[in-house]
Amino acid sequence: MNAGERSDAGSSPTGANTSGPRLTRRGFLRKGAAVAAGASAAAAALSPLKDLAPEDVPSLAQFLQKHYKEMTPPEKEAVLNRITREVKDRYGVAATVTDPLPLTGVEFVYALNISRCIGCRKCVHACVAENNQSRAPEMQYIRVLQMEKGSIDLERSAHHYDPPLVPDEASYYLPVQCHQCAKPPCVKVCPVEATWQEPDGITVIDYDWCIGCRYCEAACPYWARRFNFTAPQVPADKLNPDLGYLSNRPRPKGVMEKCTYCLHRTRRGRMPACVEVCPTGSRKFGNVLDPDSEVAYILRHKRVFILKQDVGTLPRFFYYFDERGSRYHEPIAPVLPEEGA
Amino acid sequence: MPELPIHAQPLPSHGRTRAFAVPLVLFVLALALWQGPWQFHSPVPEATVVPAWAIDPTPVRRPKLRPQIQLAGFSYTCSDCHRFFSSPPETIRSLTQHRNVELKHGINTRCFNCHHLTNRDALVDDWGREIPYDQPQLVCAKCHGPVYRDWLHGSHGRTNGYWDLTRGPQERRKCIECHDPHVPPFPPMPPAPPPSTLRMGEQGDGHHDDAVNPLRLRPSVTHEPAENPTVPDGGTEAEEYVP
Repeated sequence: MNAGERSDAGSSPTGANTSGPRLTRRGFLRKGAAVAAGASAAAAALSPLKDLAPEDVPSLAQFLQKHYKEMTPPEKEAVLNRITREVKDRYGVAATVTDPLPLTGVEFVYALNISRCIGCRKCVHACVAENNQSRAPEMQYIRVLQMEKGSIDLERSAHHYDPPLVPDEASYYLPVQCHQCAKPPCVKVCPVEATWQEPDGITVIDYDWCIGCRYCEAACPYWARRFNFTAPQVPADKLNPDLGYLSNRPRPKGVMEKCTYCLHRTRRGRMPACVEVCPTGSRKFGNVLDPDSEVAYILRHKRVFILKQDVGTLPRFFYYFDERGSRYHEPIAPVLPEEGA
Repeated sequence: MPELPIHAQPLPSHGRTRAFAVPLVLFVLALALWQGPWQFHSPVPEATVVPAWAIDPTPVRRPKLRPQIQLAGFSYTCSDCHRFFSSPPETIRSLTQHRNVELKHGINTRCFNCHHLTNRDALVDDWGREIPYDQPQLVCAKCHGPVYRDWLHGSHGRTNGYWDLTRGPQERRKCIECHDPHVPPFPPMPPAPPPSTLRMGEQGDGHHDDAVNPLRLRPSVTHEPAENPTVPDGGTEAEEYVP
């Protein structure tokens, strides 16, 4: 405490000392510095907002958009047009956004022949290309599990296998994706009804209604749901312009997504992308209500099992296998007479 | 000495320190927040390069389905030569022609089990009648009955195009569009890149002592050496494998 400051402090308030606290030079500088620093700290804390791209800010129409099931046809049309515009702005791609409706008398079922799957993972990447999944970070709906032969212990499976050639002699392969359950636990847990089961059996998500709580991811026993932790990155030249509102339109950050059996294809009669690309023909898809369909034949005549039957989800995804001896690495050894017999 | 008003009293020493410290801390905080001094290490890996063949739906084989052969830039039907050169019906012998054909079809070691003995532009059925080259599944069906039955109903083999035949065509692949008739097992192929997604961990081998770790598991194959868990390419260990 020095004398100059004391006299300085004492000299200023000499005029009027009756009106409570008064502004002093020192007090002004002190408070001013604190306020300026506080304001700049607040501004700095908000500075990430300066990186926000204009297209990341939801428009009023997007903000006020209704739930998919509550939209009238003109409202839906407006939403599809808005998404078309957004895709054009963001990717420079003239896309067609449609919303094919479920077909009457159709219930989609998938069958997969684990005797024939060689684990080549072509289905994984065809799915990514078809459904505009994020490339970085990678998002894949299909996991191909390399399983120990003679076992169905999922916890001892591997999905990072990368040998020079597949199939491995000692393994079989179990691709897993959304099973489109008839009793889907993911739908049951959604707090905002952003996901539901359609009449043709496909469980879909309204990406504009999802709040990203990830309850459904936790509820799914097949690990079939994926979350966009970051904004999905899809190169513009890789974007599939055939877009469906409930399937492969570009997703924002912070929402769930999942396999939809490529409903923008399958509701127009085409096969899903994973079926088209499978080199071995292990993947079968069709309408189970049609008794002449491939999947109906498989369910009637082949040995079929479902994954995690005990959880009671009633999947529409069936694994089947062929008779012994038809397996590619299971040769029928000639039965030779024993020596001396 | 009259008491000074509160705002005019000299600051105690801790108050003076605070008067400097508060703005200083806030300014440092502002600078730190603005500059972002903590390097953010994103867990997002670089995008994996996916080869074009990984999403190519073309079948693994493109057979001609015609009795045709290319020689010296010209195209011949089989009978162009074979009407002049007949073959002995017994074919357990070293070939003088077609030496590029490698026949590894199990116990089926005779050419004329499938090819017609007199009309080389046709295949042969069990009664010696001709089967045209574009119907190879009828030849395969002679031995592979259950597979042929499954193929007829669509449970075996590739189906491409439309599942709904009222909306578009469907393409059923024939046997030899996947299987080489002379070496029929489906050929092994290199796998497409493994996942490096956020929730499935990074690529490569995990480092763990066989504890259950769903993100990083290697197949626990006990009958193979640990440093080489997968031997698919016909090495000695593959031959030693006993199912």
